[in-house]
Amino acid sequence: MTHTGVLHLKGEKRRNRTILSGFYEGAFKFTRPVYLDEETLSVYMIHIGGGYVDGDSYVNEVTLEEGAELSVTSQAASKVYKTISKPVEQVTRIYLAAGSSLDYCMDPLIMYEGARFNQVTIVDIDETSSFFYNDIVTPGWSRDGEPFRYDWYRNKLKVTSGGSLVLYDHLLLDPGKGVEGVLELEGHSHVGSVVLFHPEAGVDFVEKLSDHLEQQFPGVRFGLSSMDKGGVVMRMLGDNTQQLESVTAVVHTFYRETLLQKKEVIWRKY
Amino acid sequence: MMINWMPLLQLSDSQFPSGAFSHSFGFETYIQQDVITDAESFKEALTAFLDRQLAYNDGLAFWLAYQEVKNDGVDLILELDHLLYASTPARETREGNQRVGKRLAKLCLDLYPSHPLEQYHKWLMEKEGYGHPALVFAVVYGAMEVSGSAALETFLFTSLSSMVQNAVRGIPIGQTDGQKILVALQPHIQKTVRRIKEASIEDLGAGSPGLEIAQMMHERLHVRLFMS
Repeated sequence: MTHTGVLHLKGEKRRNRTILSGFYEGAFKFTRPVYLDEETLSVYMIHIGGGYVDGDSYVNEVTLEEGAELSVTSQAASKVYKTISKPVEQVTRIYLAAGSSLDYCMDPLIMYEGARFNQVTIVDIDETSSFFYNDIVTPGWSRDGEPFRYDWYRNKLKVTSGGSLVLYDHLLLDPGKGVEGVLELEGHSHVGSVVLFHPEAGVDFVEKLSDHLEQQFPGVRFGLSSMDKGGVVMRMLGDNTQQLESVTAVVHTFYRETLLQKKEVIWRKY
Repeated sequence: MMINWMPLLQLSDSQFPSGAFSHSFGFETYIQQDVITDAESFKEALTAFLDRQLAYNDGLAFWLAYQEVKNDGVDLILELDHLLYASTPARETREGNQRVGKRLAKLCLDLYPSHPLEQYHKWLMEKEGYGHPALVFAVVYGAMEVSGSAALETFLFTSLSSMVQNAVRGIPIGQTDGQKILVALQPHIQKTVRRIKEASIEDLGAGSPGLEIAQMMHERLHVRLFMS
């Protein structure tokens, strides 16, 4: 089957530096890798088409060999437009070898009227590798001004560590069946998640991070908890993109400084 | 099919020592934050709980495991056990389900032994599986002459009934109000049974973001009546 976009990235460590190779086809491409500072190699994924449309299918793969380090982000928010006949499908596979470290920080996904989006992300990590992931979903503008005119959004993030399943994070937002009430979005419009894995991210780390975040973000409702094998999951509800982006950035920096002993990432975006 | 109702009645009885009554599964957070304050607000939350959390998680896992047992299989039960465990991001809720599931497996093995239950219990003892009450009930009912609809309906009703008992103690609401909610939810349970039967393993684990946050926040509540 032909995909709308295919993107493969591979990082290898050579003499203390990560060397990146890969290819892309169709509507996805990545920029020339740049060092954000002496040690943070970064690459930007770019959606050429301007957005996801009916029947689109994307396949991405990111592999980091032993000890390689990489920060991946998108260049801007992605828009999902009306999907009349077939939902948009996106499958991402991530392989992290021993001691490797990946930041996978995606910009918000904007779901417009009639949009259906089905995403599966399969992450295979080693017990000694580090992984930081985030996503944000927002409803797009609609003609009648109603916030939730998209059909549905489904995101599955499956993480195995050392071969055993440690996280199966499945988020389904289905406005037709009600998303605004209690237990769901509870009056908020935006949902964000952060998932991280690090050998030292235990209950103590979650406790410290919770203390760090406390009272910093009064407008955001969030919770975080620890998974087995150094996993942390954070879920948040807010009313605009900036709110959730700033929580995510604070968590990311706390993770990098505390666990990776590295500086914060300052992305170069317009 | 002639149904022997007595095991269903016994296992769904509020006196049955399943251990579920120590867990609010996040509802205590809503009670403390004044989101759930009375019978009306509790009913709204419980309906949402049935629609999503029970339907796509415990209920669907129950249904898939029940069918596996009916088809003389057991392997899917271990897979479901891992999926349920990994799809619960709140540690207290995840460990609560694990504790209740293990205890229930042992108890039911004494009361209603069967080959599939022995196998599931063995996985739990050998730490190959984690334990989840939905799977224990599914395996127990699956090994009996109980129709799928009756088993699933009983399971959903029992889960809601234990939440109602907790609400009576925790909010609190009146006993009569609690029972009225269980009457009002009955048609909804039947609708949920039909929805679950149409779903597949691909639908499993779809969580409610607000509820997950409440379950995670529970870890940091200062005074708690419940373990989750």
